[in-house]
Amino acid sequence: MRALIAAATGLALALALVLTVSALGSPSGRTSPEPLLTTVPAHP
Amino acid sequence: MRRKASLVLLACAVFCAALAPLVRWYAFPRLARIPANQYQDMVLEARNATLLDYGTLRAKKVPKVTIVQTLKGDVEAAKKIARTAGRPVVVWDSLSYVQGPDGTMVSKVPERYIFDAHSQDPVHATGEMVDGDPVKREGIEFKWPFLTQKRDYEYFDAQTRTTNPIHYRDTRTFRGLTVYYFEQTVPWTKVPMPKTMPVRGITPESVARTGTTRWYTTVRRFWVEPVTGAPVYGEEIHQEELRGGTLLGGRAKVTAFAGHVKMREDYIDHTVDLVRHNRTLVLALTSYVPWGSLGLGLSFLALSLLLEARARRPQDPAGTRTQEPEPVSA
Repeated sequence: MRALIAAATGLALALALVLTVSALGSPSGRTSPEPLLTTVPAHP
Repeated sequence: MRRKASLVLLACAVFCAALAPLVRWYAFPRLARIPANQYQDMVLEARNATLLDYGTLRAKKVPKVTIVQTLKGDVEAAKKIARTAGRPVVVWDSLSYVQGPDGTMVSKVPERYIFDAHSQDPVHATGEMVDGDPVKREGIEFKWPFLTQKRDYEYFDAQTRTTNPIHYRDTRTFRGLTVYYFEQTVPWTKVPMPKTMPVRGITPESVARTGTTRWYTTVRRFWVEPVTGAPVYGEEIHQEELRGGTLLGGRAKVTAFAGHVKMREDYIDHTVDLVRHNRTLVLALTSYVPWGSLGLGLSFLALSLLLEARARRPQDPAGTRTQEPEPVSA
């Protein structure tokens, strides 16, 4: 019974971690203020 | 004590073992996405190219034609479209600005490309266009999906506004990276005049009235890093002609542009470095974390079983001594 509880705890923690990290995702940020270029940049 | 430790190890084993598939099949599609606010520029050059002189309407050799390509993510538009599409979306506004050897504009073609942030599938929404013409893209453009496969893909051609297969040819090594080489040939096709012409006063409508049409063919080559799906190098053998009509003064056709377009050297280095960095991040989600946590989970499980087995082994009662056998009287 105790082994079952330990296994369930591990599974719940893994689910919680992955769901939280996935829900947070990566921030979308803001549209860059840089223009679409009409001159040749000197370097990248 | 041993039993407690084995239970903790068992919990750790299940945690790690569960993490492996969850990261690979749940977190990866949700975390590996093109950022909505991406901003990227690229310079391509065609050396010893042929370019139409619009003053004389004759083709001439020029030392260099430069193409500046910019991609800019529109975050607000992406959020708006994502709400109705029900999936993460990226909206790229791009501009292909072509410049002659003297720095004058040859053509500029804006595009709006809307696609799924993970799968790269096109998403159709108002505003999707090429040079102001509404289009409904099929296939990919600019970038391949994450975990690119060794197969043909459908690739959208902005000039013809059509989608055609781009063929996987072979696997190569490009500056230390394993890449898939793709190639597409677009046969001679009649294409629209650019909305912005290089000579003031000439419009696509005024050219159309003369009966002159624009034709185009290209051989498109991409070296694609398969983990990220990002092209690390690209080339085009590009040809454009004006055909027929009164504008050419009786000539059947004249070359508007012909050249072997290649990425500028410093941009190749920059792209390779960027792709190498992003490749590690994608591999962390698809390979390093899943396989690492699976291995760790198995180790924890083995350790847990070992401790449990030792805890269950019957122990000698404490403080007892082995007694000497009593002498037996004969």
